[in-house]
Amino acid sequence: MNIKHIWIVLKKEAKDIIRDRKTIITSIVVPMLLIPLLNILVGGSISRLNYDMTENVTVALSKESNTEEIRELVENQIFNEFSNITLLDVDDHIEAIEKSTVRVVMDFDKDYKVKLEEGKPFVISLMYDRSQTKSQGSLHIVWDAIESFNKKIVAQRIEALGLNLNLLQPVQVEEYNVADDEKTSGSMLSMFLPLLIVILLSAGGIAPAVDLVAGEKERNTLEPLLTTKIGRSSLLVGKYLTVTLFSLITVIATMTGVLVGFFINPGSLTMGADATITGFTVPPAALLMAIVISITLGMTFAGIQIALSTYAKSFKEAQTYLSFLMMAAMIPGYATMFMQANEIPQYMFVLPVLNALSAFKEILTFNINNTNLVLALCSSLVYVIIALYLAASMFKKERILFRT
Amino acid sequence: MIEIQNISKHFDKVVAVNKISLKVNNGEIFGLLGENGAGKTTTLRMLATMLKPTSGRAKLAGFDIIKDAEKVRGSIGILFGGETGLYDRLSCEENIAYFGQLNDMKTPEIKERIKVLSKAFGMDSYLKRRAGKLSKGMKQKVAFARSIIHNPDIMLFDEPTSGLDISSIRGVQEFIKNCKEEGKTIILSSHSMSEVEKLCDRVGIINKGSLVEYGTLEELKQKHSDEDLEEIFIKLVGGKNEH
Repeated sequence: MNIKHIWIVLKKEAKDIIRDRKTIITSIVVPMLLIPLLNILVGGSISRLNYDMTENVTVALSKESNTEEIRELVENQIFNEFSNITLLDVDDHIEAIEKSTVRVVMDFDKDYKVKLEEGKPFVISLMYDRSQTKSQGSLHIVWDAIESFNKKIVAQRIEALGLNLNLLQPVQVEEYNVADDEKTSGSMLSMFLPLLIVILLSAGGIAPAVDLVAGEKERNTLEPLLTTKIGRSSLLVGKYLTVTLFSLITVIATMTGVLVGFFINPGSLTMGADATITGFTVPPAALLMAIVISITLGMTFAGIQIALSTYAKSFKEAQTYLSFLMMAAMIPGYATMFMQANEIPQYMFVLPVLNALSAFKEILTFNINNTNLVLALCSSLVYVIIALYLAASMFKKERILFRT
Repeated sequence: MIEIQNISKHFDKVVAVNKISLKVNNGEIFGLLGENGAGKTTTLRMLATMLKPTSGRAKLAGFDIIKDAEKVRGSIGILFGGETGLYDRLSCEENIAYFGQLNDMKTPEIKERIKVLSKAFGMDSYLKRRAGKLSKGMKQKVAFARSIIHNPDIMLFDEPTSGLDISSIRGVQEFIKNCKEEGKTIILSSHSMSEVEKLCDRVGIINKGSLVEYGTLEELKQKHSDEDLEEIFIKLVGGKNEH
């Protein structure tokens, strides 16, 4: 193997790929821009939806309940502490819900007043449209307002009887989260970040791997290359390093997009969960370990991708094989998505792909077990060697290299 | 000089090349004639060290194709017919320089050589343009330049005019003549009788992987009492090859 030759091939292949607009757009530009763009668009529409559901709640009374007396009760006693709820006057309450003029309609028992005075329960029926997200969301706000009114009436009645309100609530619940902000944030990140990294590492190398071997075979550029002084091992390693490099560039580009998206919409990293990532810092040694394991996983994928691209008879065949590889890599990612880091069995730290996923989970949740991480790293290195061997054996077989 | 001794290549049960022996002297053009699938390309691929022979041996410029494969590759230039095999996104200059680098040439040496070749092939006006934007004739010239960037002693041409228009064919033939004038040892694989008659000092006819006849054109004509090379070829090959 000749390092100078490897460097020449790597430089040329990188230059060639950089000039390929399609690859650059799909591997770097789109991942970098897509996530921030989605955050702006999706984040913006979610914010608007939340605002409409919680801050701009429109309510009406049914035709039968739309009396001066009930309106006064609702406005002054039920909604008086809820400035986000507006009581509207509509002619046809069903049509008003259907047309989204109002989100919720209240219908009172006819004898509600008598029951209220006699201390008997009465019913307020809430009508809403389940097919409309905003109507469904606003229902809870109205429900809360009625609950608050209920508590007020109960308090008044208990007080009138000369009793203490605490009699009704013998137990009070207080909750404490023993995990600090870092652990909470890490736990959420550990659900989707490992999967994202595996998908990106397996997808990032597809375009270059297909182009650099199957593409070269199809365009007849490989044969002249094999007649120069460069040995096949050097040529293979040059191409292999290019694929690895572009897989990692795709990961970096996407992660940059994720970070930019995070700054645009801090809630985005929790994928809609009711929390944001705050105070999250990974120890430098663990971060370094995560980077090294990512690189080795990228190298493993690159080796398999080069092997499959060499085996393929055509560009299209190579694309099909590599798409299957990406799908196969996603299976362990999804399978372990909800697995907790402290419950991962040790054997998973030596299985392909699962070793990297498990290590990422441990690092992100600060459940770091050095033995497990070393196992993951060593097994990753073994898989790199196996993948490279596979690629080299394909590349050296005449019948495979020259089959079209 | 090229020396081939009993070289064979089998792909499973298919005998692609069967015990071919021949010698091509310095400054000589040797034509390999044969129908499609006769074994011409496989022979050239073995000489270029792309394929390993099943048996037999060959030496190019004194280097053994198995033991000194890298040195053999450093001594040969090869030109394939049909597609030129250029990198479309690289400029012509970059395409040529890449092969110079892979043949261990130093940058100043490559630059100087590209200048000479650019002048010789009239490529100055499009040297900096991307290969994908060129016409087929222009691409062919870049492929010529690329194959001799390292000034090899031996040239292998595998059906270099296949699929080309008449003026491009003329260009390729001129290039081959120039190589001969520079003293290079050349093997030209072709199925064009007229091309072989025009360019070659000696001719070998391959049929079903075996070299069934070889000699100078005069020797062949005398031996087979026929003035027409095509007739001699048909007589020796006797129809289509079927492996």
